[in-house]
Amino acid sequence: MVKVEDIKKEAKRILKEGKVKYIIGYKKSTNGLMSVPAFIESPEDVENLIWDPTCVYNLTRFLVDEKRRKAREKNPDERPVGIVVKGCDSRAIIVLLQEKFINRENIYVLGISCETTGVLDEKKLLKKLNGKKAEKVEYDEKDNFIITTLDGKSKVPADEILAERCLECRANFPVINDILFGEKVDRKLDNRFKSLEKIESLSKEKRWGFWKEQLDKCIRCYACRSVCPMCYCDECVVDTINFAVTADTTAEEKAQRIKWVEKSPTTSENFVYHFVRAIHLAGRCIDCGECERVCPMDIPLRFLNKKMEKEAKELFDYDAGFDPDQPSLVSCFKDEDPEDFIR
Amino acid sequence: MEKILTKKSFSKWVKKLESYKIYAPVKNDDLWNYEIIDIPESIQPDYPNTVLSPKKIIFPQREIFLEFKASNEEGLEVKEILPEERPAIIFGVRPCDARALTLTDNVFKGDFEDPYYWKRRNQTILIGLTCNIPPSFDCFCLSVGGSPHSKDGLDILMTDLEDKYYIESLTKKGNQLINLAKDCFEEPKVMDKKDLEKIQANSEIQIKRQIKDIKKIPKKLKGMFDTPFWDKESLSCIQCGICTYLCPTCHCFDINDEVASSAPLKGKRVRTWDNCQFPDFTMHSSGHNPRPDKASRLRQRILHKFQYFVELYENFQCVGCGRCISKCPVGIDIIEVLDKVRDYGL
Ligand code: SF4
Ligand code: SF4
Ligand code: SF4
Repeated sequence: MVKVEDIKKEAKRILKEGKVKYIIGYKKSTNGLMSVPAFIESPEDVENLIWDPTCVYNLTRFLVDEKRRKAREKNPDERPVGIVVKGCDSRAIIVLLQEKFINRENIYVLGISCETTGVLDEKKLLKKLNGKKAEKVEYDEKDNFIITTLDGKSKVPADEILAERCLECRANFPVINDILFGEKVDRKLDNRFKSLEKIESLSKEKRWGFWKEQLDKCIRCYACRSVCPMCYCDECVVDTINFAVTADTTAEEKAQRIKWVEKSPTTSENFVYHFVRAIHLAGRCIDCGECERVCPMDIPLRFLNKKMEKEAKELFDYDAGFDPDQPSLVSCFKDEDPEDFIR
Repeated sequence: MEKILTKKSFSKWVKKLESYKIYAPVKNDDLWNYEIIDIPESIQPDYPNTVLSPKKIIFPQREIFLEFKASNEEGLEVKEILPEERPAIIFGVRPCDARALTLTDNVFKGDFEDPYYWKRRNQTILIGLTCNIPPSFDCFCLSVGGSPHSKDGLDILMTDLEDKYYIESLTKKGNQLINLAKDCFEEPKVMDKKDLEKIQANSEIQIKRQIKDIKKIPKKLKGMFDTPFWDKESLSCIQCGICTYLCPTCHCFDINDEVASSAPLKGKRVRTWDNCQFPDFTMHSSGHNPRPDKASRLRQRILHKFQYFVELYENFQCVGCGRCISKCPVGIDIIEVLDKVRDYGL
């Protein structure tokens, strides 16, 4: 069992010794049950750190901010940043290393094993409680969550309110870390693509109908992109910022910039956005499920990325986020690859 | 005008309103939103907050202004597209969301009246519902000048009294709707009025969240533009569009030409929502952006709502619906931010 006191002890030590400039972890929110990201700079603030099933966020997203901030500073602090990661999140770090977006020496990884459990799906929990407010959620080490509400405690089987990704998790321990909390517990997983079965069994027409209905709901708030650690492009094709220009760009050049997607949330534009994103995540998405969690319109985005993950596996025997030295899926060709158009 | 409408008579009344386009909160999967419905049999009085407010009906995310196409005679043929002429009713409007429209009204009038906004605004009747129970854990309407039974911006306020609704008609438009089906309504008894007062008083007690001393905040913010406060508060912000798109008072927009074909030239001029959290917001054509980072973008959101708007229109640009709190993917809590602003440097 992971003890938060152990995490705090290590956090205090590395901050006191000046090993890291700050630590990205979790703390309690001001408006209820769920945790929020915490940026801990001093040993005194370490007391705020928490670890519980509400620590859902994939904090590696903030390494992108860190890199941008550092690039703007004249004399940046070169010490690493401490970051708390779960198994899934640690795989995001692997991809960022593999793509050379970050360097190993820039991070100090405090890895936490989820052992036999995982993190909560807040929407599932709300539904379970019929809109009642949960005050506290604990894991009882026996596959149940104990939920405290104003009306008292109740027991809920873990798999009823666990995040979908945790139900199909393949790395419940951090695959990269500088210090590890908790044990490596093997978990049996019969079919890592089980959640896809239902949608794959639909006819082409039904599938189109499903996605049209879902993506028509999209308001293009781009939260799914903004929360994604892999969506780190400085310029995204869906923003007009890719018309971005310098003082030297001529009027002709500006006029020739291609507008790939309109801002209008119409069927065609929404599809283009989501296809672009899905394709750009193929072989990179590590299934932290953040895009689906944050979507205010409840669009099941995880299916899209999970499908790409499956294609990568079946066509190219490719798994993202385990080996920082493996070449990236879309930039390498192996003799065993099924298509021969490139030969 | 005050009336009583039994729940049984409700659908009878609604049937008489057939000629209107009717919107009401509808649940799809687990999501509530305002949608056009044929016969609103009954409005469920305990629906949680809709994801988007009725803003999306009066000020839609996409509005076509005009169509253009190349033409031999005129060079360019331009056709103005105005919203469809069709009176509408929105049922089940939360008092905060109705107040929000009275705030955006300020922005769309003045030197330039926005014909698209006003066409929809003027032909839409708002029927509100008292929040007997707050529809969200994060409601804080009382702190920003509203209340769970506020009448601002509404044509009719309905209050659920278990087997009947207490109807308060507040405008001529409201009276007209009632007069369309006079026999559905009864006169309120003394007891009904007492029940109404009890429920409305109780609805206020249910609001748990508040911003203390909010009056001090606009002045305080004025001195905080150039402080490191915003860097710190925005650390976890991921700069998505949730807080602003879901906000019933946010009204920034962008105008683009959507070109369907370049030869011969053909397309539409379209207005869409925009928001201050996106990287291309206020980006100049030189590439310079006066709001280059997330600190300046969070600052813009807070200052616009609690300083600039107050200076311009003597009202906060916030109605306390709580959407930006509940839906923020990283738990940024505007109440907490404002609490810290108030206490900053003390
Ligand atoms: S997906 Fe796995 S590693 Fe990630 S939170 Fe769930 S159980 Fe933990
Ligand atoms: S988070 Fe949801 S609504 Fe927002 S852009 Fe992504 S899919 Fe669309
Ligand atoms: S919803 Fe939250 S994360 Fe998104 S822009 Fe607003 S404050 Fe930032």
